[in-house]
Parts: sequence; structure tokens; C-alpha cells
Amino acid sequence: MIIGVNNLVKRYGELLAVDHLSFSVKEGEIFGLLGPNGSGKTTVINCILSLLDYDKGEIEIFGKVMSPDAYHIKRDIGIVMQNIAVYNELTVYGNIDYFCGLYINDKALRKKLVEEAIEFTGLSEFTKFYPKKLSGGLLRRLNIACGIAHKPKLIILDEPTVAVDPQSRNKILERIRKLNEQGSTVVYTSHYMEEVEQICTRIMILDRGKAIATGTKDELKAMISLGEKITVESFAITKQQLSDLRKLPGIVSVDYRENKLVIKSGKGKNNLESVLEFFKREKIQFGKIFSELPTLNDVFLEITGKELRD
Amino acid sequence: MFTHIFFNRLKCLLRDKMTIFWTMVFPLLLATFYQLAFSNLTANEKFQPVNIAVVDDENWDKNENFRQVLKDVSTAEDNLFNLQVISYDEAEKLLQNNKISGYIIVDEPIKLVVSKSDINQSIVKSFIDIYMQNYSAFDRILSENPAMLKQLTNNTGKRQTFVYETAFPGGKPNFVVNYFYSLIAMACFYGGFLGMREINEIQANISSVAARVNVAPVHKMKAFLSSSAASLLVQYCEMLILLSYMTFILGVSFGNKFGYILITTLIGSIAGLSFGAFISALAKKTEGVKSAILILTTMVCSFLSGMMQQSIKYSISRNVPFLSWINPLNLLTDSFYCLYYYDTLSRYAINIVVIIAFILIFSTTTYFILRRRKYASL
Ligand SMILES: Nc1ncnc2c1ncn2[C@@H]1O[C@H](COP(=O)(O)OP(=O)(O)O)[C@@H](O)[C@H]1O
Ligand SMILES: [Mg+2]
Repeated sequence: MIIGVNNLVKRYGELLAVDHLSFSVKEGEIFGLLGPNGSGKTTVINCILSLLDYDKGEIEIFGKVMSPDAYHIKRDIGIVMQNIAVYNELTVYGNIDYFCGLYINDKALRKKLVEEAIEFTGLSEFTKFYPKKLSGGLLRRLNIACGIAHKPKLIILDEPTVAVDPQSRNKILERIRKLNEQGSTVVYTSHYMEEVEQICTRIMILDRGKAIATGTKDELKAMISLGEKITVESFAITKQQLSDLRKLPGIVSVDYRENKLVIKSGKGKNNLESVLEFFKREKIQFGKIFSELPTLNDVFLEITGKELRD
Repeated sequence: MFTHIFFNRLKCLLRDKMTIFWTMVFPLLLATFYQLAFSNLTANEKFQPVNIAVVDDENWDKNENFRQVLKDVSTAEDNLFNLQVISYDEAEKLLQNNKISGYIIVDEPIKLVVSKSDINQSIVKSFIDIYMQNYSAFDRILSENPAMLKQLTNNTGKRQTFVYETAFPGGKPNFVVNYFYSLIAMACFYGGFLGMREINEIQANISSVAARVNVAPVHKMKAFLSSSAASLLVQYCEMLILLSYMTFILGVSFGNKFGYILITTLIGSIAGLSFGAFISALAKKTEGVKSAILILTTMVCSFLSGMMQQSIKYSISRNVPFLSWINPLNLLTDSFYCLYYYDTLSRYAINIVVIIAFILIFSTTTYFILRRRKYASL
């Protein structure tokens, strides 16, 4: 076990930011912490790192109790904080070298690692740049490079892609997966379900400091009743037909608004087929029709009753 | 690890234009400005004796000590004053006719009567202040340590010479240097900006780089001390540049105790750094507010130590001596002044001891705040 969190409670005054949270991260995972803004992801991470004092709970990393002076543990952790943390007076190279140097004393080894990190994050053309001259995406990449250059066993990334353009974002995700393939265990927090779905092998969904569900994405989707979501666009339907549609087997809900029909069906096969048959029978004209499998947003929606997106 | 942090810190500091401006460029500009403002005063190297009078009464006759000192500084050799011993009425008349800059009434304390405020008048005033300070110190030592009395009475003949030598060893006093000394004190305390930055970049609840350093396998105190050492080096070098500029370009005199001057500057730099760290660790405010607090306290303390108006320093040490003891900038200013004016180091040593006490207060408080390993909130 790489991380073990047991019964963690953190309050900010009256606000219960982390509510009796327990989870563990196993070696080799890309563990996703998914939750809307303010759900407590950063707070959890900072507690794990012993930056924040917490009210209750135990935290172990690599099977040892984590504390502010557990340097033997810290040595093997790499952190990419939510906020950009670099020195404005040091260049791209200087920053990576500085932070890497807090972990690695051997100069030759450090040089090699820094160059690898630069290569890895695609910053080769910018090594002499000062942070102020970098675009948002490049700055994020520098922030990542500073956190991972020393090749840690455990990498924790807290929303590393906030405010990054889609192209850079994909590159960053690719690289995180690569780090994982090279042997690092990764903890990844985000409020973008697509990202988490894309790279995480296991996901914990967080809401108001509570874990509302944990599992692989398929496991999470299996937890909810929704099996399929069918959307039909631009057509006309009578009230009677709507209520008949609702009565079809397997249909959970039917929602009709502004020429757009959203049909949610439970688990099971041939849902789309039976809807199409119904349309044919009733001679209903329709434009676009498509069917989707549930997303993590649907999981979140069904469990909490609200949208994951802000 | 020490060198890694130290050298990277040096790089950062030397590129931090804002801090360099406040800690070095600004004091250099001020020094230049002072030089321009005082140039007609210092150009007046040939010192014109000041015409003064002393009221010839019973007290004057009795106060042999003061009489001797005043006569000594009015002799051909030193020639600070053109002294006339006359009656009260005559003195008043001479003053009204602008024939003298002021007259002295020997009383408890010694009084100076002047009609207008100018440089001559402040020379007389400074002389009396210095005399009073030394004389009261002398008195105090005697009352606290009667054993010394015997020793001193054995040397009664030397006693006046001692007081006199303590007052003006270097011959002609230069009344402008004090402005520059308090400017150095101010520059030392602007080094507080460096100390402030050190705190901001080690406290995870203040900055995100600090959070990154805090999660690294480095002892927090070691990281702090390594990078503060770089700050101190930068600050000390800046102070040496300022000192050299004043000495070699502006021609400000610091006396001849060079070793002590360098040590005093170093102690001043440490005091400034630890003061900035102290403010920064203590005040849970934004960086802007902390800078404002730092600038404001430094300005007020500089003002009270006579940076804008020298007489303020004297009137504080006369009327509210407590204030001059709790003002580290005043102590620092006074230390330089002691090195310039006095042969003996006793007053200098007391100043330095109090400054070091301040440093200890600043740094232990900072230490206890820094020692916190986890934060309640980031
Ligand atoms: N320093 C703090 N003081 C008070 N409340 C805080 C502080 N930091 C975070 N919070 C609150 O704690 C909750 C969790 O915040 P955070 O951990 O930052 O969430 P996330 O990272 O998921 O966006 C939020 O309601 C936030 O407002
Ligand atoms: Mg967050």
C-alpha cells in the first residue's frame, strides 16, 4: 500500500472540509480524486503531505506514519501543487534544478534528471526563459517538471491542468500516464471528469469532504441505475405518446424540452431498439438520435442530486 | 544542501529588482541627496568659532567641571567657541543684537538661550547635550559604584581632561555626519525586506514555493538558515557599498576605528534582517501590508534617531531617554556616532549590547513561529 488514509477529519473553524474520509492507494495505480470545486481535494492532499494540521485520523505513506519530519518518506514523493510554485528569478532550468536539488545531492545525477524532466515536459526550447515569459500552459508544465524531476515513487498532482488549453492538457495527461508506466504511483485530483476517466485506474468521488463512491470507472457506472441515455432532437410528440413512451419496459425517465427528448433507461440490452420501434409504430418524425453510456457526471448526479460541473 | 540553497538564493536575490532598489539604490540616492543638501555646510571645512556667552553667576563659579570643559573648547587649539563671561543683562543685549548665537545659564540642568534656529545654535546645543550626557553618565557611575570615587579622587587632576577627551577626541566636531549615520541605520533596517522575503518563502501558509520547500526532505530550519545566510551576505555587501560610497565619494567621515565600523555595520544588517523576519512572521497580513509596516516603522524610527532633523535625537535622549533605548535605529546611529566622537568604547558597547538584545528578541520570536511544523490553514 502506498497511501493509507484512515478516518481523516479536517475542520476550518465551523466548516467540515474533510468528513471521516478513509481510502488507500495501491502501488502502480493512477488514483483519481474527483470532485467539484470546494469538495476538499486540496485539503486532503495537504493533510496527506503533513502541511495541514488535521483534527482526527491516521495517515500512512509507504506503510509508515507520515509526519512533517518524515524525510525518508518525503524523499520519495513528488508534488505538483494546485498553485504554480516557482521562483520568478530563476530560469526554467534553474527552477527545476533547484527543486530537484532539494532531493538529489549528486550533481551529475541531478543534471541528468533535470534534463530528462525538461525533455519529458517538452520545455527544451525554453530552458533559459524566466517564468514571467512563459504562457499559462508552459508554466503548468514547468510546475509539473519541478515536482517530478527527482523520479519519485509517488507523484501527487493537484489539478495540474487548470487553465490549460486542450492540446497542452492532452500532452500533460499522456505524460502522467507515461510516468505511471515508468513505475510511479500517481494520485491525481481534478474536477474534470473527462480527465479522470481518461487516465485514472481507480477513482474516488468526493463531495463536501465525503467519499461518495470509489472504484474503477466501470464499477462506478455500474453502481447507478442508469444504463443508457438516448437523446432525440427536433421533432414533435404528443402528451399521450410521451406517457406511452414512459411505460415502455426498461425506461427510467423521459424528459422533453425545447424539441429535445432525453430518455434514460436502466441497465439491459436493446433499449435503443425498443425506442426506435416505438417511434416507427407511432409514426413519429425525428432528426438526430444518439445513445450514450453514463459518464461520471451521471454517477455524481445520481448520488448527490447535482451536477459535477460548476 | 547548504550551498545548493545558498547559491540559488543569491541568484534570486540579485535578480529581485524591487528589493535591491529598497535596500541599496534608495539609500544611495538618499545619501547623494543629503550630500547635496549639506554641501554648503561641509564645504565650510574652515570652522568659524561660534560666539557665545555664559552668564557669570554663583553657579558658574561653583561648577568647576563645566567651566573647565567650556574653557578648553574655547582655547586657540580647538576654538569651538568665542566665549565671553558676562552678566545676564549684557548677554541678553548681545543676543538681541545678534552679536552672539546664544548664552548659557549654568543651572540644573544647564540652560541655553537662543533667539533663532541655525547651525551655530545647534552646535552650542549639541555641545551642551554631549556634555550633559557624559556628565550624568559619570555621575551615575559614581553613585552606583562608590568605590570608583576613591580611585577618581586620587586622580582629580585628570578628571576634567577625561571628560573633555571623551567629548571631542577628534578635534572639530562635524555636525553633518549624524545624518549619514542614521541613514546607514535606515538602510540596515530596509534589509528587513530581505528578512521578510525569507519568511514568506519558508512559511507554507504564505507562499506556494514555501509549500514546495516544506514537502521536500529538507529540515525547515536548515533551509531557512541557508537562505537567510545568502540574504545577510547580500545585505552586508550592499551596506559596504553604501559605506564606501559615503566614505570615498561623498567624503563622509567615520573616524578611524575601521574594524568596529565594519562590525557595527554587520550587526546592523543582522538587526535589520531579523526585524523584517520578525514583522513578517508576526503580522498575519498580506505582503503589501507587511512592507508598509516595515517601511513605516523604519521611517518613524529613523525620524526619531534624527535622520531628518538632528535635534530630535537629542531632545528625545534628554526628555524621553526610554524612547532612545527602545529604538534600534537610534542605537545604531548612536553607535556610529560614538565610534566617530569618542575615544572610549563604553557608550558604544552599551549600544551594541542593546542592539544584540533586540536581535535576540526578533530572532527567537521568529524561531518559535517558524518552528510550527503544520499549519491550521493554507
Ligand atoms: N484556508 C482555508 N480556510 C477556510 N476554509 C478553507 C480554506 N481552504 C479551503 N477551505 C474550504 O474548504 C473546502 C475545501 O476546499 P479545497 O480543499 O480547496 O477544495 P478543492 O481542492 O476540492 O477545490 C472549501 O469549502 C473551501 O472553501
Ligand atoms: Mg483544490
